[in-house]
Amino acid sequence: MTSQNYAELCTLLVEDSFGELFGRIFATLERYDRLNLPRLKFYSRLTDRQLHHGLAAMIQQNLVFHYTSYDDGVTYYEANQHAAYYLTRSGKILEFIEGRLGQYAATLMSAIMYLGHASVSHLETLPELRPEQPHRNGINGEHKYKHEHEHEQDEANGEHEDQPNGIDSEHALSEQPYLLHPTLKTLAAHGYILRAREAHFQSYTDTVLDAERVVTSRPDIKSMKGKRLEETVIEKTLEIVKEKTDGDLSHGLKYNGVPRGAKQGRGAAQSNDPIKTEQADVDEDDEEDEDENEWSDNELGNDTVPMESSLIVRVNYEKLDVALRHCRFIGLAEQDSSAVTAEVYESLLRRIEYQTPRCRDTVEIPREGEEGEQYSVPIPLSAIAEDVDQQLDLSGSIGPMDISQPFSRRGKRPLEDGVNGTSNEGTNGLSSGSSRTYELDQHLCLLAQPPHNLTSKRIVGGLITWTVEYRYVARILRHLELEKMIEARYGDVALRVVRVLHAKGKLDEKRLQEISLLPFKDLRQVLASMQTGGYVDLQEVPRDAQRQPSRTIFLWFYDPDRVASGVLEDVYKAMSRCLQRLKFERSRLREFLEKTERSDVKGNEEQYLSEGELKMLEQWKAKEALLFGEVSRLDNMVAVFRDY
Amino acid sequence: MAGSVTELASKLYDACQANFPSDHLFYQQDLLGLGVVPKNDLPLMLQCTQTLVDQKLFRLLAGKNDRLAWKIISREDADKLQNLSPDESLVYNVIHSTGRSGIWVRAIQTRTNLHKSILDRCLKSLEGKNYIKSVHNVKFPSRKMYMLAGLAPSEDVTGGAWFTDGVLDANFINSVAGYIEYTVSRKSWYEVPSADGPGKKRLKTGAGSVAMKPESGEKQYLPFPAGYQGYPTVGMITAAVNESGITPVRLGEESIVQLLEMLCFDNKLIALNSGEVYKSVKHPEAVKAAQARKPGGEDADEIDYLVRNGMTEAPCGQCPVFRLCAPGGAVSPETCDYFDPWLEKALGF
Repeated sequence: MTSQNYAELCTLLVEDSFGELFGRIFATLERYDRLNLPRLKFYSRLTDRQLHHGLAAMIQQNLVFHYTSYDDGVTYYEANQHAAYYLTRSGKILEFIEGRLGQYAATLMSAIMYLGHASVSHLETLPELRPEQPHRNGINGEHKYKHEHEHEQDEANGEHEDQPNGIDSEHALSEQPYLLHPTLKTLAAHGYILRAREAHFQSYTDTVLDAERVVTSRPDIKSMKGKRLEETVIEKTLEIVKEKTDGDLSHGLKYNGVPRGAKQGRGAAQSNDPIKTEQADVDEDDEEDEDENEWSDNELGNDTVPMESSLIVRVNYEKLDVALRHCRFIGLAEQDSSAVTAEVYESLLRRIEYQTPRCRDTVEIPREGEEGEQYSVPIPLSAIAEDVDQQLDLSGSIGPMDISQPFSRRGKRPLEDGVNGTSNEGTNGLSSGSSRTYELDQHLCLLAQPPHNLTSKRIVGGLITWTVEYRYVARILRHLELEKMIEARYGDVALRVVRVLHAKGKLDEKRLQEISLLPFKDLRQVLASMQTGGYVDLQEVPRDAQRQPSRTIFLWFYDPDRVASGVLEDVYKAMSRCLQRLKFERSRLREFLEKTERSDVKGNEEQYLSEGELKMLEQWKAKEALLFGEVSRLDNMVAVFRDY
Repeated sequence: MAGSVTELASKLYDACQANFPSDHLFYQQDLLGLGVVPKNDLPLMLQCTQTLVDQKLFRLLAGKNDRLAWKIISREDADKLQNLSPDESLVYNVIHSTGRSGIWVRAIQTRTNLHKSILDRCLKSLEGKNYIKSVHNVKFPSRKMYMLAGLAPSEDVTGGAWFTDGVLDANFINSVAGYIEYTVSRKSWYEVPSADGPGKKRLKTGAGSVAMKPESGEKQYLPFPAGYQGYPTVGMITAAVNESGITPVRLGEESIVQLLEMLCFDNKLIALNSGEVYKSVKHPEAVKAAQARKPGGEDADEIDYLVRNGMTEAPCGQCPVFRLCAPGGAVSPETCDYFDPWLEKALGF
């Protein structure tokens, strides 16, 4: 599982985010794997003090697993590469949360991320989660400032959960704890945060071993034998592990399968159509400016109970991966269908996301051809219809079913002239409500078309439902990434060859030529260069025992699994290189950067720096942003190859 | 007697030519049935056929169940054959027997048992008289093959419509492929009449982000709903190609299917209903634009790439010594020559 490149990358990420001490400890743990404290101290050559501080903080960040063995009572430490890797994805996650649930949720999320795990009561005291967010505009924003002063006096105590006036006046929503708790609940309901459990701080293997020990020592298990014993142990172990690691907070926070606080419609991006299907009747007029208020409003009536303040929460990366994967799916849909269709797709995916805890059940990505079909939960069409923005023009983006006119006279076709889309579909004799559902169905059908088959239709109990075949679409994403690389490196001819090989399996040169219709010379060149690059390979099938080349059949093949695993390593390496280069660039400019970071200069750059220096600073920032951006783009590939 | 046999033979030949198609296989019954040979005299008839065979007007063949059979040869061909030496005639017959598929020189040798130098001489003289021609076989490009000069090589030999002289005709393929893509794309998208086009609908494009902003003058295309029946079938595409006049020869459906499959692998078309109908990925305008761009700067059309990803952008993705790269090594991120130009290019300073 662990490779050199991955370990290197994780260390770099830890070092980059938390400094050299963490980096040193992390690197040592990676190199020597599991260590107890004396050994760790020996290898890392750190002082006791440094080590204790470092380890404590890293455990808080969940960068290090610790486990105290029952047998000898020694505590072992182990690097948590997964958590380290997710440091690079944090930006993406925050961006996603911001788009989905608003800025405040993002701030809250970043606070939780920054702390690793945090109790609700601690979150309440955090200054950045207090109400003075200048970005929150609109009615509430103004009121917030009024309240602020009161707060500042109170805040020495740190605890004020329910201000009585918070319930009385609508605008008291803006009050900090009141905003914090609904947001926390929303995050919890979406499954983006979890209750931190003790088992989260030890490695999965330890948890499993512990559970196994518990199971095998039970008297009823001890009496079993042979295969039955094995099976029962595995089953019970999984049960215990699940129970131990399960931190799901969404229970009871969902309403009809939709998390509380989930925004209907399109969210902040299209703030002029705040459609609330659940409460479709109320106050559309005065709420137009602030989407984020909707859910606060909705909850005003039915739930003002704050989150338990002793609750400790952490980020649920598994669930966020599901959400991010859906973003990629939508991107795929956008690529070859209209924006409207993509939006319909998004509604479907969002519904699915609420019920999908993780991307896949197996730890490793199954081998191509061996992975079974794995459909998401089916979502009834009517539910999607509820979610899709009512003002979305569904009919305008699909052509008519039949063109009676031949194509030579196109452009003069009177079909859609003057007649708008809805009445066009109205010819089917459907009432407007059900015709909308029908149109929606049409969009989903469009998505179900080859080549991507992004959706698939199911009839469950007479209801039309839609699902997504996860493994298939994930595979498409994977192939697409590989194809992009092949095209960029070896040209479109190579792309054609690879696609032929992928579709047809192993082929000899002649057959390959017949299908790909390429001249021998080009074909050989491209195959040879791809073989050097490790993208295609050659299999020899001797016709007799002598294995003479002249009596041997040579078959070309393309194995996406093999290529993908190689590419994944390359991606890790490329990410490391970007970070290392950044470090190097930083060291080149060290003196200058130290100057800009001086406490008197920072924030007053214009005052202290010369024009040339300002320009340099700007360039440096752009450079840094570019390199980080590149790392994040590479992370997208990692996600496709490893996580989806 | 001999004279009468010759006369009778000539009569028989004329009757055969008049009553049967030229490639008919004659058995004894057929010849007797013509009523030319009196009293169904079998020995006489055999004498006649033997004369005709000697005159190269008949070719002796073994029919079903090893029965004797003959085929007639036209008089002009017979004249040709009469002038051949026995060896040449032997070789000619062997080559003739393989028809449109042609025969490998070594196979002629084994079948005729002639010495190589004699065979070479025969082949040379036959080729000089323009009776036979050498052909390229795509399957065995190194073999020297011959067939009769008057025949067109079969598809097995030429490799189908896409080969010219045993070599893939890339230009021809590209032009036909381009034509097909455009034709199909015109039928795969609904063109919005220019009158109604509120700007909020986004122009649909295939891969690139080029045409994402619909300008007011541009045409708009919409996808057809699923299950749309109007996508062109193989037959329609074949007909269109043959009518277009871009091909010197008529292309069969198999050849077109071959090309359509290739276009699918090129990500240009999508096969629906398991290859019965096809639709295009890009709409006509985008196809036109892409085709117009091709002959120009080849490396300038980055837009044609699928979409770029992290690895193709980063310098590491194209680095030839990426494998050797390690911090502190001879190739290292610190000493990398590619990062600086890349940063400069990306940031523009």
